[in-house]
Amino acid sequence: MEIDYRLRHPLKLEAHLRVEGLTALLGSSGSGKTSLLRALAGLLPAEGRPYAGLPPERRRVGYLPQGYALVPHMTALENVALALKGPRRRTHALAWLERVGLAEFHHHRPWELSGGQQQRVALARALARKPDLLLLDEPTSALDAATRDRTIDDIARLVREEGLPTLLVTHDPLVAARCDSLAVLEDGEVRQQGDPETVFSRPATLGIAQLVGFGNVFRATVLEREEDGVWLESEGVRLFALGGASLRPGQAVHWGIRPEEVMIVRADRPLPDRLARNRLPVVVREVAKKGLVYAVRVEGALTLEVLLPRHVQDRLRLFAGKAIEVALKPAYVHLFSSGLPSS
Amino acid sequence: MTEAFFLSFKLATLTALTLLVLGLPLAYLLAFKRFPFKPLLEAVLLLPLTLPPTVLGFYLLVLLSPDGALGRIGLDWAFRFEGIWLGSVIFSLPFALTAYREALAAVDVEVLEVARTLGVGRWARWRRVVLPWIWPGLLSGTLLAFAHTLGEFGVVLMVGGNLPGETRVASIYIFDLVQALDFATAERAALVFVAISFVLVLAVRTLEARWRSITGYGTR
Repeated sequence: MEIDYRLRHPLKLEAHLRVEGLTALLGSSGSGKTSLLRALAGLLPAEGRPYAGLPPERRRVGYLPQGYALVPHMTALENVALALKGPRRRTHALAWLERVGLAEFHHHRPWELSGGQQQRVALARALARKPDLLLLDEPTSALDAATRDRTIDDIARLVREEGLPTLLVTHDPLVAARCDSLAVLEDGEVRQQGDPETVFSRPATLGIAQLVGFGNVFRATVLEREEDGVWLESEGVRLFALGGASLRPGQAVHWGIRPEEVMIVRADRPLPDRLARNRLPVVVREVAKKGLVYAVRVEGALTLEVLLPRHVQDRLRLFAGKAIEVALKPAYVHLFSSGLPSS
Repeated sequence: MTEAFFLSFKLATLTALTLLVLGLPLAYLLAFKRFPFKPLLEAVLLLPLTLPPTVLGFYLLVLLSPDGALGRIGLDWAFRFEGIWLGSVIFSLPFALTAYREALAAVDVEVLEVARTLGVGRWARWRRVVLPWIWPGLLSGTLLAFAHTLGEFGVVLMVGGNLPGETRVASIYIFDLVQALDFATAERAALVFVAISFVLVLAVRTLEARWRSITGYGTR
């Protein structure tokens, strides 16, 4: 489904995107994600297609706000049946509760259900009306990490079974990574859309890079082009990056590398030619355990954040003060084509 | 005594029903809508809370007298049942309004918005979502107004005087009995009053508890 919407209030927004399967809409807080959803549901005035000018009652759009908005004095069954008409509405509602695994809770009121269960009731209620488009606002924000992954997978399964285009708003890159498509909202417009892997590995702008978790971003000057890449000078270091075909020598750019893509050079393993170009002597300043990974800060000509899986750190045994070498694979040195700050 | 209590009940019932019809739209306006001079309107509506009943009664008496601003347009209601009814409505409005407004304020606007996206029309939203949500609050506000009107004295005396069968309600009747030093009858009437008030307050508290158990508010 193609969406083309323009909002003036409460903020200016121009959104052009495709909702294909489970599509994530990623953006920082205040970027207008929720406003776009509300406009699509008909709850905020907007121009564009589809549904232009229709009141919410006449759009076939399922909308789940963050708090799920279940009717507190209705049981789970009555909540689902709220969207249905006809004599068999309760039977249909029960069938929907069964599909989200909550049939046995049909007589419970919302406050007797957990957050995850409330969400499934709300999802069943939205799906029961057979919408053409489903809108989910931060469906995982109120859930703990374990429930979060399962919830996203459940949602993905349900909407795929239904073949229902679904737009899921999130600020969490880990949630976005589990979707079929990813659109990023920045400065009032959709700046990039593609499959999550592409957006994560090749963010179009600096802002998107930071949003999807690039910890290491630096300014650089283009020195010269060579074959399929460019040589850069950044903080006194010469680096080779792939791509950058449109860049001219002398031009200022930003580049970045994801913390999990910085490689630690091991003395016993020679580096391939190209990787050897971007070697950098550094000193380990800090090693911090973050769940199942280690966050390591190294300082040399550049200060870099490095994320190491536990098994790598178990082998390398890095500690603060240790002198090591890191290598930045040219394919992972990412050049940002736009959205650069002027300073 | 029966006549006075009957009159009191008639007055309280009519006042409570009037407040339900009048107060609910007003409370809706105050709870959900934004408009200029809203604080001013709120202050005017809540003014009877702070005014001595005699002051309110005095102004009403002046307005409702045959030469008063309202009396001249046909509302010469001084010393008549209609007069004490109007006075009671104004005097109990803040109580009803506050209860209705609290009940409405607890309604989550987002729930109503989502109901719209589910294709539930305006009338059905009120009937199926809002009214079951707020009815304990509505009823408790109406009962409060009823009880408050039963116990009223100053406004009724100022506007209505002491006419048996027309304006002499139970509270004034008891005052009369004491003036006439008939303490035995006054005591019986007072006991009836205590019993009625107790039942009413108990009903209001029970309704509030029921409201919490339906919506889950206050339970977590």
